[in-house]
Amino acid sequence: MDATSLGQLVPGLAKLGGGLSIGLGALGTGIGMGILVGKAIEGMARQPESAGLLRTTMFIGVAFVEALALYALVVTFLLIF
Amino acid sequence: MNLMEHLHPHAYIPLKIGGIDISITNAVVAIWIASLLVFLTLTLAGRAGRLVPKGIQNFMETLVQFARQTLVVEILGEEGLPWFPFIATLFFFILYCNLLGLIPVFPGFTPTSNIWVTASLAIVVFLCTHGAGMVKHGIGRYFRNFVPKGMPGGIFGIILTGFMLLVEIISHFARPFSLAVRLFANMTAGHLVIMVFISLIFMISAFITPVSVVMAVVMMAFEIFVSVLQAFIFAILASIYISLAVHAEH
Repeated sequence: MDATSLGQLVPGLAKLGGGLSIGLGALGTGIGMGILVGKAIEGMARQPESAGLLRTTMFIGVAFVEALALYALVVTFLLIF
Repeated sequence: MNLMEHLHPHAYIPLKIGGIDISITNAVVAIWIASLLVFLTLTLAGRAGRLVPKGIQNFMETLVQFARQTLVVEILGEEGLPWFPFIATLFFFILYCNLLGLIPVFPGFTPTSNIWVTASLAIVVFLCTHGAGMVKHGIGRYFRNFVPKGMPGGIFGIILTGFMLLVEIISHFARPFSLAVRLFANMTAGHLVIMVFISLIFMISAFITPVSVVMAVVMMAFEIFVSVLQAFIFAILASIYISLAVHAEH
C-alpha cells in the first residue's frame, strides 16, 4: 500500500479507535459499577438501618467509577471530531 | 451534520478588550440566569421566614437542610459550619446550571458542559482546600503532613520521602482535574445523547420519530437525575477534600 492510500485510512482508523475506546472503557466501568452497587445493596439488605450512609457512600463511589468511562468518552470525542 | 456545533457557545454581542475575548455569549447569559435564579429563589424562600414552612419555602428548606446536614455536618462536623455557605453555593449554582441546560432554545446552553466553567469551579475548590489546610495547620506543618510520620532514616528514607511527596502532589493535582472533567463530561455526554436521538429523525427517516422522541424523553428524565447527582457529587467531594486537608492527622 502506498503512502496516499495509507493517509486516507487515518481518519477511519481514528473513528475505529474512538469507538473501541468508549466501548472498552464502558465495559470495565460497567463491571466495576455492577460490583459496587451489588455490594452496596447487599449491605443495605443486611443492615437496613445503615441504608442512608451506604447510599451516600455508594453514590460517591459511583461518581469515581463513572469518571473512568467519561475519560474514555473524552478521548472518543477527541479522536472522532 | 456536526453534532459538536451546539456545544460551542455563540456570541450575542461580540466584544474584545486587549486581545481577550469577553463576548456576551449564550454561555455567559446562561450563567447570569442561573446566578439570578439561585439568588431569587433562595431570597424569596428565606424572606417569608414562616415557622411552619409553606410553598417555595418548604421546598428550598428541604434542599438547604440537605446541604447543611449531608454535605457539611456529616463530613466536616459541627466546627465545619463556616464552610456551609461555600459548599451550598457550589451545590445550588451547579444544580441550577445543570437544570437550566435542559431547557431547549433559550438559553440553549449548559454552562457546566463547558470545560472552562467546570475547571474554574474546580480551581476555586483546589485553592480553598489548600488554603483551609494551611490556615489550620500553618504552612510548614501542612506540607510536613504530606509525608507520614516514622519514615526510615538514611539515604533510603530520603529517596522514599521524595517519592511519597511526588505521589501526594500528583494526587492533589489530579483532584481538581477529575472534578472538572467529571462534571464536564457528564453534562456533555447527556446532552449529546438527547441530541443524537433527535438527530436520528433527520439521519434515518421520519418514520422513526415516535421511537426517537420517546427515547429522548426518557433520556431527559435521566438527565434530571444526573443533574442533581452531579451537583451533589461535586459539592460532597469539595467538602471531603476540605475535610481531608483540615483533619490531616497522618
